[in-house]
Amino acid sequence: MAQYWLSHPWFDPWPDLGDLHRRMDRLFERASGPALARGSVFPPVNLYETSDGYVLTAEVPGLRHDEIEITVERDRLTLSGERRIEYPKDASLHRVERRGGSFRRTVQLPSEVDGDKVEASYRDGVLRVRIPKAAEHQPRRIAVGAS
Amino acid sequence: MTTETTTQAVARPGEKQVLEREHTRPGFVFRPDVDIVEQKDAFLVSADLPGVDERAIEVRLENGLLSIDASPGEAQDAAWTPLYAEYRTGGYHREFALSDAIDVNAIEAKLVDGVLRLRLPKRHEARPRQIAVQAG
Repeated sequence: MAQYWLSHPWFDPWPDLGDLHRRMDRLFERASGPALARGSVFPPVNLYETSDGYVLTAEVPGLRHDEIEITVERDRLTLSGERRIEYPKDASLHRVERRGGSFRRTVQLPSEVDGDKVEASYRDGVLRVRIPKAAEHQPRRIAVGAS
Repeated sequence: MTTETTTQAVARPGEKQVLEREHTRPGFVFRPDVDIVEQKDAFLVSADLPGVDERAIEVRLENGLLSIDASPGEAQDAAWTPLYAEYRTGGYHREFALSDAIDVNAIEAKLVDGVLRLRLPKRHEARPRQIAVQAG
């Protein structure tokens, strides 16, 4: 919700600050690719386009593969689950940086996708979801007939 | 007690923090989120290291300094076009000074779903002992 507020042109109380952020993003951009989106979110996601669809990756360390729920509806993909962080009752906490809690994130995809063919894999705390575009959005090769 | 010795870097909250150090290898090195808790007989350390496998992780304990290093996992498919990014990939590094004596030979380490879990048992002489008070 906070992200929506910050990114929404009608609700930007500090337009100049936003511009400063964008300029700093450009300044610190070192690798190729889009500047990092700002804000504190869990899990952070990256979205890629492939020849026939999209790939969404998310860093979800500490979750088991069956604790992550993925739903797809038209052009929206939602990740949800709960990250539990538990320690023995008799332990004293020296440093607690890892955050737990339930999460729910919806990503708007650039076009409609084929929800029946979505495939997800999970390894070393990274989720990877392959999302084929709906048939009508797939690139089509048009043969040029000789006259 | 544990004291952090890793060089701190500035990052916006919730983002992976890039460590500003001189590297001999190209790519980013991040400062992983770490939890450290203490029990009577051991320290438990959990570090979020998404994207690396167990062979890429090196845990060292030398002169009371615990260091965790992980080299980057495989790169993303170069044929993919990035559309939107909230995180980058790379290696990880973090160091802590441990004040209590640790039994180095009994350290346990395992990587489960991108989280490194260390159990650092204290040496017997460093464990708290109950002293019985005798009536005179």
